[in-house]
Amino acid sequence: MIPENPEELQALAGEYVLGVLDKEEAGEVAAELATNAELRRAVALWEERLYPLSSIAAPAEPPSGTWQAIEARISASVAKPTSQSPWNNLAVWRWSTAAFAAAAAGLALWIAVTPVPGPSLVAVLHPPQQGQGSWIATAGRSGLALRAVTTATPPGDRTFELWVITPGTTRPRPLGVIPRDGELTLTPLPPDLRDGATLAISIEPAGGSPTQQPTGPVVFVGSMNAV
Amino acid sequence: MENRSVALSEVAVLIEAVGRGSQVALKRLYEVESKRLYGIALRIVRRPEIAADVLQEAFVQIWQHAAAFSAERGPGAAWLTGIVRFRALDAVRKAGREIPSGDPALGDEPLEPDVIDKIGASADAEKLRRCLKLLEHDQQRCIVLAFVEGLSHSQVAERIKAPLGSVKSWIRRGLLSLRRCLEP
Repeated sequence: MIPENPEELQALAGEYVLGVLDKEEAGEVAAELATNAELRRAVALWEERLYPLSSIAAPAEPPSGTWQAIEARISASVAKPTSQSPWNNLAVWRWSTAAFAAAAAGLALWIAVTPVPGPSLVAVLHPPQQGQGSWIATAGRSGLALRAVTTATPPGDRTFELWVITPGTTRPRPLGVIPRDGELTLTPLPPDLRDGATLAISIEPAGGSPTQQPTGPVVFVGSMNAV
Repeated sequence: MENRSVALSEVAVLIEAVGRGSQVALKRLYEVESKRLYGIALRIVRRPEIAADVLQEAFVQIWQHAAAFSAERGPGAAWLTGIVRFRALDAVRKAGREIPSGDPALGDEPLEPDVIDKIGASADAEKLRRCLKLLEHDQQRCIVLAFVEGLSHSQVAERIKAPLGSVKSWIRRGLLSLRRCLEP
């Protein structure tokens, strides 16, 4: 059980960062992190507070080949994909007119209340086929803001993760796990978020996809356009 | 916020570049931080081949999640440390950890009583040291031991030969006092 009492929550987050919780307790906290912003903040603050203690461990040279192993895994994840991209099968552009109009109304309001300096991009994300809910992403020089227009909650202990596919490529790149409150801000603007880029949201295990690629279904998708 | 300049360190800049997809920045980050991070992992998992795996997993995770890092959230080095410690703790929990006895004859490094005098000279380290010294001795000892060696409640208890209930309460009360001290 994750406590709601602030002091209890702080103590639990501290115990988690310290590493004293057993496997089950730690797993419970880890699962809750993706969706509990308060807990996530508490953990980040404990990491920062206790960080100076990490200098007690003496630095040591990692075994040779460690970087090469990392590089191989990174390169494999960004290598040119085959034509069997999971995205080719999605009816990305088939938005229903009514849904688009409704979202566009919300969009107008959002733009009006959100000053975005410089060139601006917007995307409306919808379910690829049928389904409820939509998201709006706005981007400017200062970064990207994504928010849920209608309430959308990932099932169970799962989480939503945002991806970008740059024009000319087919491989999605992870942008981040979307907090439970349905708002994600990225600063500065990732450079591959440009006109014509596709944004997609998939359902992933708590904490985000364990691989460099979406592992769950893509539930919302839309394209970024200059406005 | 006297330490916000730390956030603009080379490490934070590199993490942000990694977040924009730069492999060159990731390599540079490895060059700058791998010895420190490997040392932290090794102290927890105690076996070089496992520590190397931990470092590898951590850097893949850094690559995937750097876009979500924000320099405003805190120093980049602390963010990296959190990822490596999380991976190391996960590895020892999965493997069912051996408990370092603290016996140098077995290759264990015992924590010296004055170990917190060695935690660096930055303003943050200075503040943490001052607050740790205000804790009761048992609270301080358990927190430092758990953090550095990645021991669970029951392993700390076994290691210092104290009842589990006492260890749990020392750590909990110690953490809450630390928090009050660090954030007046």
